[in-house]
Amino acid sequence: MALRTRTAGAAVAATVLTLATACGGSDAPAAGSSDWSLPAQDPTATITVVGIVDPVEEGMNDVIAAFEQEHPTITVDYQFVPFDDLNTVLDSRIPNKNGDPDVFWADMPRIPATAERGYAEDLTDVFGEFTDSFDPAPVEAVTWEDSIWALPIANSSQLLYYNADLLAQAGIAPPPADTANRITWEQLGEDAKAAVDAGAQYGMLFGQFDRYYQLQPLPMSLGGSAGATGERNLTPDITSPEWIRAFDWYGSIFAGGASPRGVPPEQTDPLFLSGAAAYTVQGPWLLPSLVDSGINWGVAPHPVFAGGEAVTPTGSWSLAMNPFSDAKEAAAIFMKWMAIDGGSGYTTHAPEPELPAHVDKEAYFAREVFQTPQGQQAAQILAYETANTAVNRVETVGYIEFEEILGRAFADIRNGTPAEEALRTAATELETAWAQYR
Amino acid sequence: MTLVAPSPDPEVRRSGRAAQRRSWRDRHHDALWAALLLLPTVVAIAATRILPALEAVRSSLFHSLPGGLRPAEFVGLDNYVTLLSTEAFRDTLVRTVVFNLVINPLQIGIALLVAVLFVQRLHLRGLWRTLVFVPCTIPIVGSSIAWGAALGPDGPVNALLAAVGLAPQPFLTSADQALACIILIASWIGIGYWMMFLIAGLQEIPAEYYEAAKLDRAGPIRTFFSITLPLLRRPLLFVLVADTVANFVLFVPVQMLTGGGPESSTSLLMFDAYRTTFGYGSRNLGAAEVVILTVIMLVIVALQFRLLREDKGAR
Amino acid sequence: MSTVVDAAVGGATRSRGRGRRLALTVVAAAVGLAFILPAVWILVGSLRPTEDIFASLSPLSWSLFVPEQITFANYVNLFTGAGFGRALLNSVVVCVSTVVFGVVMCALAAYALSVLRFRGRGIVFVVVVVSFMVPFETIAIPLAGLFTDWQLDNTFLGLVLPGLGNGLAIFNLRQHFLGIPPSLREAAVVDGASEFRILTQIYLPLSGSALVNSALLIFLGQWTAYLWPLLITTDLDMFVAPISLARTFSEHAFDFGQNFAGAVLLSLVPAILMFVLQRFFTRSIAETGSK
Repeated sequence: MALRTRTAGAAVAATVLTLATACGGSDAPAAGSSDWSLPAQDPTATITVVGIVDPVEEGMNDVIAAFEQEHPTITVDYQFVPFDDLNTVLDSRIPNKNGDPDVFWADMPRIPATAERGYAEDLTDVFGEFTDSFDPAPVEAVTWEDSIWALPIANSSQLLYYNADLLAQAGIAPPPADTANRITWEQLGEDAKAAVDAGAQYGMLFGQFDRYYQLQPLPMSLGGSAGATGERNLTPDITSPEWIRAFDWYGSIFAGGASPRGVPPEQTDPLFLSGAAAYTVQGPWLLPSLVDSGINWGVAPHPVFAGGEAVTPTGSWSLAMNPFSDAKEAAAIFMKWMAIDGGSGYTTHAPEPELPAHVDKEAYFAREVFQTPQGQQAAQILAYETANTAVNRVETVGYIEFEEILGRAFADIRNGTPAEEALRTAATELETAWAQYR
Repeated sequence: MTLVAPSPDPEVRRSGRAAQRRSWRDRHHDALWAALLLLPTVVAIAATRILPALEAVRSSLFHSLPGGLRPAEFVGLDNYVTLLSTEAFRDTLVRTVVFNLVINPLQIGIALLVAVLFVQRLHLRGLWRTLVFVPCTIPIVGSSIAWGAALGPDGPVNALLAAVGLAPQPFLTSADQALACIILIASWIGIGYWMMFLIAGLQEIPAEYYEAAKLDRAGPIRTFFSITLPLLRRPLLFVLVADTVANFVLFVPVQMLTGGGPESSTSLLMFDAYRTTFGYGSRNLGAAEVVILTVIMLVIVALQFRLLREDKGAR
Repeated sequence: MSTVVDAAVGGATRSRGRGRRLALTVVAAAVGLAFILPAVWILVGSLRPTEDIFASLSPLSWSLFVPEQITFANYVNLFTGAGFGRALLNSVVVCVSTVVFGVVMCALAAYALSVLRFRGRGIVFVVVVVSFMVPFETIAIPLAGLFTDWQLDNTFLGLVLPGLGNGLAIFNLRQHFLGIPPSLREAAVVDGASEFRILTQIYLPLSGSALVNSALLIFLGQWTAYLWPLLITTDLDMFVAPISLARTFSEHAFDFGQNFAGAVLLSLVPAILMFVLQRFFTRSIAETGSK
């Protein structure tokens, strides 16, 4: 449950802090003591950084320039890699053991796998004291087996957007804006179908159909687990009654016509922005295009199951350090600047910052999109969710297999396979895939 | 002593050691020239394809945790045993072979028909040929998006079916139809490409053969089977082998449109190998999958060479 | 060429010939149109704002292919934002270099494998065939490591080298050379010609279409290459067009309009090349007068 994982996360963070402040005392477990630290004076070095933020379109060049201005002796060679190819490139370069790249973007749910594969340097000694600069969920996400392996630089959440005109056309009341009184999934499904019956092309969309990131809250809202249990989270737990019930509902919205089959995740935004859909569950990154789109839109908190607990997706990118890097001090300075300094250098200097993992969200909420009435409402909801209802994706070294196998199961459920059958097949596949980790 | 290679050089007929010395050079004349002509290419191929491939075969005999950093231990044929004893993998193997048994003749048959059409005398021949050729020039991401949209449940193809009174089809969302859709998309891309090679081959057939057939009062179908096809043997072997390989290593449309689903119905061997290697990071297991794939290809290609081999002396 | 058809048909009269020509043109046009339709959708999509691309998919109407508003913004943004111009230039340089050197290398190799007789010819040919059967994805990562060790990363040489030894192109030319009567070469040898002269003055002039096809093979292989440039170039200035095109899709934003614009531009180059080079397709042995 959300509460359990959050208190667990707080416990981990507290443990890490205690360990760090114990300054390498003999009762600290062998989490890898660093032979380097944050220097008092900047070294002269060049570091290579591999990231997925476009240097021009998303302004990463501006961020790098700002860093180099504040730290003139450190040169950053930022190398952009298309988002889909990050793991291929890292898999090709890190095992060469020549320290290239020094710093790289690391997806939070993959941190246990990244650490286990030996791709990330243990940062606990050097950065353990800074964990209260961040929201609790991102800290938990970058921590694995009591060590910190990356610094969070971004976070995410989800909102329910609706097309006010299409709702009015069907005579549906807009979902309540109060986080204490959210619309239920069941009600949303019915309203979406009603919208379609009244003429909308599509009822409800998910920003990321069939993906674990998007659908994790469904079983968890009913009290189910995040998907794995047991030692090191290597026992699949996706066939519990909560999971089956949640995904019976998921399959039903497609069978019943409230949500379309065959629409890939990448196409949901253009469809909603063109006014073709009544609802979409999507992250805050939809806001800028929404404001420009000219449709009459509103925003509400992420739904729950009736009688269930409010749970929202979360997590995004962090920066990890190559253990073979020969410029670790400079890399650490860069990572600290990006994630922590001045309310996160990345957030304060990006032209259009993303939701930060840093507790200081001022630069983010100062964005133009949050200045309209609906924008302000979105800001309130986001602030609430990231502090209260966010749950990380399941933390396991077998996350990559988990996400992929479940993704296919969800796609099958969407296309008509009964939920229990698809989940049981996935559980069997997962058992086989995880055998090598036990 | 007989000369192995034809040597019409009159100087050779001189007797004695001079003759022997020249005939060594003559005898090895071809080999020396071949070495010279082949050297750059063979070096390039050996360095950029063969050696890394041998390394991949070697790595298939090892096992390590995903990622490439953890040291690998020698396990012999364990990876192969693991793969072949997994039902899902065996299903993938069978599915891949069946897929290729269907798509290769289909693509080449249609490419041949289209090629025959496009060597006829008609207006704007070059334009129509180019239109059919364009699909193979479009980046596969764009093509996949276009076809995914066309075959969507609310897409244009279903709308056309509805217009003629047929029920809308699930296409890519159905375990029964998805693989056929992949065949359709891959064929749409490949037919124009192979057509160009077959057109070149068709144009090589000298007119005299057709004139002789005409004198024998042979109809177009008989002409096609007894004149055109046999004389198309060499380019046809190329197209057959190349298309076989292309279809065995096909995976991007599957990756983009179905992810191997629904219910693993489009999970083909190369897609599975790609996912194992790049998705899961299990290089050794992925290498074993590719070795199996290559062996299957080799067998089929060897059969094709045998089927379309040149009869010695037939010209 | 027309004699081939007329012979197969069996002596058409002039008016029947004209009617037949027209009928075949209609069939050819239908086939051409059927194949080009999805590409037209992509072209039209590149001239629309992204939202309109999918909104016009259903219900089915003329708006699928006829946009309400035409905009060139996608093309403009592609060049100003995603650095596509520089990438296109890189692609052209890489592909032209690969074709020029690759065709020469492959023609030489094909000649040796089809015309010359030497021990081990079969084995070399098997190696050539096997080389194009190994999927590139399998060898890409180890090869990239090798090239990086040799300091060939972020260089044109590093991009070009793997595309030079193209087994398929060699195979294609070899098949074609096998069809050229050996009597031509024998006659030339009698006249004292070297193998090189025979290749360049007899075989190559008779191989127009095969050379075009092989050049096309090599060109397309490099033009559409994605994995190799991804692993071997890290400098934004060295990106080739397909990688630059991937910049239109970020983690959350998918600019389909821009992506389609790039797809159109990338498709145009080989399509136009093929259209233009078809003039070399009409040369054949049939016209050499050799019996």
